[in-house]
Amino acid sequence: MKNSTNEMIKRVRFHGRGGQGMKTASRIVGTASFLEGFFVQDCPLYGAERRGAPMVAFTRLSKEPILERGLIVSPDINIIADETLLGDKNANVFQGIWEGTVTIVNTHYPASHVRNVHGIVGEIVTLDVTEIALNVIGESVLSSTAAAVVCKLTGVISESSLEKAVTRELSSINLKKETIQKNVQAALICFDRIPEAHPHYFEPIKEDKKDEIVKLEYADACLGSPSVYAKGSTKLKKTGNWRLFRPVIDHEKCSRCYTCFVYCPHSCISIDGDGYPQIDYDNCKGCLTCFYECPKKVISKDREVKAW
Amino acid sequence: MVKEMLTGNSAAAWGARLSEVDYIPAFPITPQTEIIEVISQWINDGEMNAKFTNMDSEHSMITAAGTAAATGARVFSATSSQGLLYGYEMLYNVTGWRVPLVLVNVSRGLSAPITLEPDHNDVLSARDSGFIQIHAETCQEILDTILMAYRIAEDERVLLPVLINMDGFYLSFTREPVEVPGKDEVSKFLPEYNPKHAFFKASNPMSQGVAVLGGSAYSYFKYQMHLASLNVLTVHDEVAGEFKRIFGRSYSAIEAFKIDDAEYVIIMSNSFTIKGKAAVNKFREKGLKAGLLRLRLIRPFPSNELKTLLKGKKAVAVIDQNISPGSGGILSKDVTTALYHEPDRPEVILSFIGGLGGKDISHAEFNHIVEEMEKSIETGIVPETQLLYTKNDLDQINNLLNIAGKTLEELRN
Repeated sequence: MKNSTNEMIKRVRFHGRGGQGMKTASRIVGTASFLEGFFVQDCPLYGAERRGAPMVAFTRLSKEPILERGLIVSPDINIIADETLLGDKNANVFQGIWEGTVTIVNTHYPASHVRNVHGIVGEIVTLDVTEIALNVIGESVLSSTAAAVVCKLTGVISESSLEKAVTRELSSINLKKETIQKNVQAALICFDRIPEAHPHYFEPIKEDKKDEIVKLEYADACLGSPSVYAKGSTKLKKTGNWRLFRPVIDHEKCSRCYTCFVYCPHSCISIDGDGYPQIDYDNCKGCLTCFYECPKKVISKDREVKAW
Repeated sequence: MVKEMLTGNSAAAWGARLSEVDYIPAFPITPQTEIIEVISQWINDGEMNAKFTNMDSEHSMITAAGTAAATGARVFSATSSQGLLYGYEMLYNVTGWRVPLVLVNVSRGLSAPITLEPDHNDVLSARDSGFIQIHAETCQEILDTILMAYRIAEDERVLLPVLINMDGFYLSFTREPVEVPGKDEVSKFLPEYNPKHAFFKASNPMSQGVAVLGGSAYSYFKYQMHLASLNVLTVHDEVAGEFKRIFGRSYSAIEAFKIDDAEYVIIMSNSFTIKGKAAVNKFREKGLKAGLLRLRLIRPFPSNELKTLLKGKKAVAVIDQNISPGSGGILSKDVTTALYHEPDRPEVILSFIGGLGGKDISHAEFNHIVEEMEKSIETGIVPETQLLYTKNDLDQINNLLNIAGKTLEELRN
């Protein structure tokens, strides 16, 4: 079923981690919408750029000129490409969702499970796009697969525009032809897997949340200057749930050469009393440097599928 | 003419490419980096014929830009925020040399606290340097303004450099459909730069930017810059007319949105103006005669045009996306000064500060502005400059203060 034709604007918000491809996903949806003749805006928002840090990107498509800019507080389509972000309060992935929001979660869990655990309003769609990306592309880069899911759910973007957009965007970042082909293939699989466009029409113009202007008073410089007095907070921020793959050392075969210990970029490998390397899984981000560097190849990688 | 999805940064790069610049001294800084990445890639691929030099700092970059322009080269460069400030000393030199280069600033709030999102304290810090300043609202406008800027800067009546501003993130990283003009059209609009006053020719040596001792010489040359800047008020309109004739898009020093019958007028600049336009539309739906002016040409300040546009209006509210601590909003002063001697001036002029460091300006804030305008008209009392800041914002900062160990109890201990 197609969306109501009098719908003026669709606002899409992409949540992911740096390096997962959400900026490119927002651009693929942007270009596909542009090819369909819509007014379009797409933009990413990130702080200090670093791999693994939560980031958001946005795409707006509209039949009318777009009188908005910047972040989308209340999305019509909200895609969470990294399920470990669901439990991250700071990532704020459910901000501003409402009855008309379609939330897409990249997970192997069914939608009902997501709803039970997180109690979110609106429609929920789940698809394990990471699995599809790994199987078809061979990498867990989700730009084209996530974009495909979103394109289908807008109900106004055709398969051929998606295909052109994937090709155009991935060519512009100089990917090999073969990789682009695989991305197109993975995107089309995702496009097919989403059974139909979101069938409901919701009036997208919502009343603004009641908010009031406040007058700031002078605050003591302890409060009024950008300093931090809390100590030891870095320790509280575990990064282990960023892992897609868990490196596992086979201690039976390990020669205790310490190569993994030296190469680990996050100092997550320590040497125990017997001289064996041990991985701090609370903080290991799963970069797999140890897996690639181990000269004896005794480190394996296990897919993490139940992060929450 | 081709329409494609471009970021503000790519649009700026296209502006430089189509202007067939000779030289780009560069130094990267977020959120400007993409501009020089794109240009250097084009030069590397042979798609653009220019000399690109990555400098050791913005100070060297602006020096190189100015000196190259003094040899008669057409020069483009770009920076942002801290970078503009790092090269600050040279801004005044370049204008004093009267060399017409184009510098793009991608706005970003100034440190400290360090941030990445935009406000205009960076670009407005250069407001007294003699650079012509044009602030853009859309990605298309960035490209178009660069083409126009070379025409304006290289005009014999001007010969001053131009600083073009775009907001970081909101334009720099935002893609939207942009028409990229063809080379032929651009060459019809923008002729080659052939300066009579500053060039390099071995057979005709000259000294440029010489020292002067004694105030009469200094005053003379400084005031010439002021007069040259004022000439832009005329030159800009001529160039805009020519631009419209060839490309079909029209730009004025001040963009007027639903202004004709408006009684309540909001004045803004740069990309956040779009939020103001949406607010005006909402007010109009409710029957309030609201309108908006966008200040595009910031230096020279288009006082006369402003007077005409605001004649007989009830109330004006200026939203400054900048702050001069201890004074208030920078542009509200220019607006108020321009209107002071007008017999038919608006009854009240209110000053607001909003969007610092990229903070959103929500509809609740626009509502507040209109309420304050109505109240001022009713009571005849105009409030002091107000910060647009909401209870939600305060909740957020209180949360952060808690995380930072700044609960009142802890501070007492």
